[in-house]
Amino acid sequence: MTASNDLQRNTKKHFRLSPAARAFLALALVLLLGFVFNAHGAFFKLGTHRDALRQSSVYGILACGMTLVIISGGIDLAVGSVVALVAVCSALMAIHWNWSPWIVVPLSLLIGATCGAVSGGITALLRVQPFIATLAMMVFARGLAKHVSGGTKISTAIEQADKTYRYAELPKWFRAIDSRVLWGQVSVVTVVCAACLLVAFIALARHVWGRQLYAIGANEEAARLSGVPVIPAKIAAYVASGVFAAIAGICQAAQETQGDPEAGAGYELVAIAMVVIGGTSLMGGRGGVCLTLLGVLIIGYLEKILSINAVPEATRLMLTGIIIVVAVVAQRQRSS
Amino acid sequence: MLRLHAIVHLLLVIVILAGCSQSEPAAKSAATAGEKPKSDAPAASKTFTIGMSQCNLGEPWRVQMNADIKAAAAQHPNLEVIFKDAQNDTLRQRSHIEEFVSAGVNLIIVSPKEAEPLTEPIANAFRGGIPVIVLDRAVRGDAFTCFIGANNVQIGRAAGKWIAEHIGNDAKIVELKGLMTSIPGQDRHNGFVEGLGGKGKVVFEADMKWLEPEARKEMDSALARFDDIDVVYAHNDPGAHGAYLAVQAAGREKKPLFVGIDALPQEGVAYVSQGILNATFQYPTGGQEAIDTALKILAGEKVPKTITLKSRIFTKENVAAGGAVIEN
Repeated sequence: MTASNDLQRNTKKHFRLSPAARAFLALALVLLLGFVFNAHGAFFKLGTHRDALRQSSVYGILACGMTLVIISGGIDLAVGSVVALVAVCSALMAIHWNWSPWIVVPLSLLIGATCGAVSGGITALLRVQPFIATLAMMVFARGLAKHVSGGTKISTAIEQADKTYRYAELPKWFRAIDSRVLWGQVSVVTVVCAACLLVAFIALARHVWGRQLYAIGANEEAARLSGVPVIPAKIAAYVASGVFAAIAGICQAAQETQGDPEAGAGYELVAIAMVVIGGTSLMGGRGGVCLTLLGVLIIGYLEKILSINAVPEATRLMLTGIIIVVAVVAQRQRSS
Repeated sequence: MLRLHAIVHLLLVIVILAGCSQSEPAAKSAATAGEKPKSDAPAASKTFTIGMSQCNLGEPWRVQMNADIKAAAAQHPNLEVIFKDAQNDTLRQRSHIEEFVSAGVNLIIVSPKEAEPLTEPIANAFRGGIPVIVLDRAVRGDAFTCFIGANNVQIGRAAGKWIAEHIGNDAKIVELKGLMTSIPGQDRHNGFVEGLGGKGKVVFEADMKWLEPEARKEMDSALARFDDIDVVYAHNDPGAHGAYLAVQAAGREKKPLFVGIDALPQEGVAYVSQGILNATFQYPTGGQEAIDTALKILAGEKVPKTITLKSRIFTKENVAAGGAVIEN
C-alpha cells in the first residue's frame, strides 16, 4: 500500500460520519419535516409525540429481537405471526378464561420462546437458511393463530353454545398496559418498549453472549474456531426474538382489546426496516441497539407526520419508499 | 447450493400442500335424527351436495358467511355442503370450480375473488348443467344461475342519512375509509357523501386499510388536529372501534358519535350492545339467502337472476330486537 493511498484513506475516514451520527442526521431531517409540515400546530402538541412513541412501541419491541438476530447474521421473518399467535392466546387466557396475569404472561412468553427455539434450532442445528426456516415458522405460526382462534377475533363478546353472546369484562391488567404513566404523558407500552431496548442493549453491549453474536455475524467459521459456542448462541438469539415478539403480542392484544389472528401481518418488515435504517448491517456483525432506537424513531415519526397531515395513501407509500432507499444508500457508503 | 435448492423446493411443496384447501363436509353431520326437515324442503328424501368456494377466510366477514351457510344448511338434513377456501388466490379458486364439476356436485355456490378470471370457469360449470349461485362479488356476463349481493352505495347512503339526522349543520366529521382503491371503499364513501346531503363537514379523512390498529393511529392524528369532533364514520366496524379506543385513550370529555358498517354479530352488533358504537349498518353475507335460493333451484323452481340483499341498522334502541330493516 502506497503512502498516498494511506493518506487518502485516512482523510476520507476523517470526514466520514459514524453510523450513529448518520442516523441522528436522518432523524433530525424527519423531525424538521414535522416542524415544517406541522398540520396547523398539531406537531407541537405533546400528545402527538406521546402517540407517535406509543404507535412505534410494538414495532420497537420487535426490532429489539430483530437486532440480535440480524447481528448474528440471520433474519427472523416469523415475528409478525408470533405477535398474532400470542395476541390470540393471551386474549383467550385473559379475556375468555379470566386467568391471572401471573400465569398468562409467563405462558405467553413461553409460546414466543418456543417458536423462536424451533426456528433457531432449524437454522443452527439443521443448517437451514434463516430466511427459509423463519419463513416456515411465519406461515406455521399464522396458521396456528387462526386454528386456535377459529378464524375470528378473540374479543370481549363471547359466543355461547346457544349462539347468543355474553360480554366479558376486559381484564384490568389489559387496561393497565394501554394506560399512561408519569402524569399521563408516557404510554405504558412505550415504557415496555424502552425496557426491552435496555435489556437488548445490555445483552449486546455488556454481556459475553452479545460479543459472541457479533463474532458469529462477522465470520461464523472464525468464531467457531476461536471457541465460540455458535449453535447455542444462535438459538438463544432466535429465542430472544421470539420472547420479544411475545411481549409485542401481549401489548398488541391489550391495545386492541382483543386477539386478532390477522394482527401483526407485515410487522416483521417494519421491524427489519427500523433495524437497517438505524445502520445495523443486514450482513451481520455490525450494528447495535442504540442504532435501532434511532431507526424506530425515524420510521415512527415519519409515519406520524404523514398521518397528522392526512397525506393520501399513495403519496405515503411513495414517500416511505424513497426514505428507505435514501437511508440504505447512505448506509452503503460505509462499506465502499 | 444444490442442497439449498432442494430445501427450497421441499419447502415450497410443503407450503403448497399446507395451503391446499381443506374440504370439510359440514352440514351432513347435522343429520339430526330427531329434527324434522322443513315441510317446504324439496324432495326431502333425496340428498344434494353443494360445493361452496370462499375466496378468502382471512376476513371475519367471510368466516361469518361460511358460518351462515353452514347454519342454514344444517336446517336441511338432505343438504351436504363442501367448503373450500381459496386463500385469496384466484387460480386456486378456479381449480375449486373445476374440482366441483368433476366431483359432480348438484350446485355450486361461489364468492369470487375477482370477476374476470373466474367468469370462464363459472360459465363452463353453468353450461355443463350445474347451477351456480354467485355470492357478494359479481362475475361478467350472465352464464350463472343467480347473483346474490348487497349494495355498498345504498348502505353508505343509509349511514350518511342517519348521521345527517343526528348532527348540526356545521358538525365536524372524521371519515376513516377502508381503501379508496377498492370498490367497497369507493361505494361506501360515495353513498355516504350522497346521504349526508351537504350537512356537516368532513374535516379529516384517511385510509385505514380496513384495519383496526391503523384506524386507531389515524384517529390519534385527527384528535391531535381537532379539539372537537362530532362524528366518526368508519367504513367498517373494527375501524370505528379503533377510533373509539383512540378517543378513550385521549380522555376527551365529549365523545363523538361512532358509526360503522358490517354489523357482524361478534363485532359491530356486539359493539353497539356494549355502547361502544352508536350505530352500525349491516353488510349482509347472504349465506341464508344462498341456501334458500339453492333449495328453490334444486326443486326446479325459477329464481330471479339478481337478488339484492337488504341491509339492517343496529342502534342502542333496537339491537336487542335484532336491528331494523332499511328500506330502499
